[in-house]
Amino acid sequence: MSQSLANRLTIGFTIAFAVLTALAVIGVARFIQQRQDFEDAIARSYQREIQARTRISQGRHPAAARATVLAQQRQRRALRDDISNQTRDTALLVGAGLIAALTGAALLFSGLISSMRRPLENLVEASERLAAGDLETRVEVGGLSETASLGRAFNEMAGELQRRAGERDQLDRMKDEFVLTASHELRSPLTSVQGFAELLIMERDRLSPEQVETVEVILDNSRHLVRLLNDLLDLARSDAGRLEIAPQPTEVETLVEDAERAMRGQLEGRGQALSTAVDPDLPRVSADRDRVRQVMVNLLTNANEYCPDGAAIEVKATRIDADVEIAVTDNGPGIPQDQLEHIFERFTRGDAGLTQRVGGTGLGLAIAKSLVELHGGTVAAESTPGGGSTFSFRLPAAAAPGDAPHAPLEAEAR
Amino acid sequence: MMARVLVADDSETILLLLRTRLEMAGHEVQTATDGQGVLDALKGAGPKPDLLLLDAMMPRISGIDALRELRAAGVDVPALIVSAHEEANGASDEGLAISGYVSKPIDFEALFDRIAELTAPGPAA
Repeated sequence: MSQSLANRLTIGFTIAFAVLTALAVIGVARFIQQRQDFEDAIARSYQREIQARTRISQGRHPAAARATVLAQQRQRRALRDDISNQTRDTALLVGAGLIAALTGAALLFSGLISSMRRPLENLVEASERLAAGDLETRVEVGGLSETASLGRAFNEMAGELQRRAGERDQLDRMKDEFVLTASHELRSPLTSVQGFAELLIMERDRLSPEQVETVEVILDNSRHLVRLLNDLLDLARSDAGRLEIAPQPTEVETLVEDAERAMRGQLEGRGQALSTAVDPDLPRVSADRDRVRQVMVNLLTNANEYCPDGAAIEVKATRIDADVEIAVTDNGPGIPQDQLEHIFERFTRGDAGLTQRVGGTGLGLAIAKSLVELHGGTVAAESTPGGGSTFSFRLPAAAAPGDAPHAPLEAEAR
Repeated sequence: MMARVLVADDSETILLLLRTRLEMAGHEVQTATDGQGVLDALKGAGPKPDLLLLDAMMPRISGIDALRELRAAGVDVPALIVSAHEEANGASDEGLAISGYVSKPIDFEALFDRIAELTAPGPAA
């Protein structure tokens, strides 16, 4: 078991405190003792001198007494020299002891600090790696017990994160697998339903009007199911990061024409007028033609379904900075602000009351958003209740050859 | 214009649908319910089909496996692969000379156009 920082600090402090206290006590005691001895000696010396001087004044052995007085005066000088030497020695001794004890303490603490530093630095680096997504990162457990338990706790946390990420990945894979399998299993019976309904409707002349209507309901609903399946597949792929696009430099005019062609029948069916306004001199955009058509068809299908018969719908393409914005505007009922905020989320529809009569899947805008973002673009929606709606998306301009400096811009937009 | 088409699918319902629509369009239809049936039909003594319409996923020998074996044996009949999985479309051709993919549900008008292209006399696809 490694020693803890707290234990080492306690022991270090205790030793330093004891040494310092002992030095102080010894120093002071020695000083007092020396001083005492000195004063006693001085007192005795004076006493002898006074006795000698008394003898001189009384005339007894004056010569010897004078010699004694002189001797005592010399001895006191010697004693004073001694005591100042001794005091200096004691001070030096105590000073040296203090310095030694403090140096020892400083060495102990710097040792402790440096033994903390490496493991802590390792922890900091490992935390940064973990935060950056390296879930396999671990630290070496060792050193003081505090850093060792920090290290162990870190490793446990990283292990737990890794385990959960693994479980989540597995769940995601299972979900993707499930959607794919479900789609596959649903498609075959759906093929039969739609195929045989088509066979029936080919015999239209031999069916009663009610039967024709019934078969058309079957066909409408099977087509709706197919759209729903396709949309679910696209979203599952998008979630799994497997929705792929193949962008090519494409004329905006072509994209608008594609969408117009795909939607003409549907719009005419409700007497809705589609006008287009593509700015001249637009740069080519980086776009997967089929996928952009899907985006525009989704936007136009919404306009078609949510607007009344005879509504006016406009597709407008303009340049905005390095992007091209394509906007679909209608003069339909509009969308309240609180619903507009969630309009690009899946299974969200503007008006629950309309849900019954419109045929959408509730996934069209979510897919449009995914597809546009895959192109490095953005989507937006504006609406005034009663004043129509505008759904728009931006696509980055395709980098023209020799236009290399703009390429990083396009990458940034992603 | 009329072509002899060998259709393989493990679902009897789909087979019935394909047979009905193809016959209505004037084609002659042979059927198989798995890859082995396809191999038997081409190895047998009967008339050879002008086109294969194979389901990608069938039990035992899949459409893709059957086609691989046929190509290895030097059979060069054009083949269309029917698949519920869009994922499978555009999967590596592996030199199987696949002439196209047909998604479920089947767009029959597009399928008939493709069959006409592939079986037209003259420049083979």
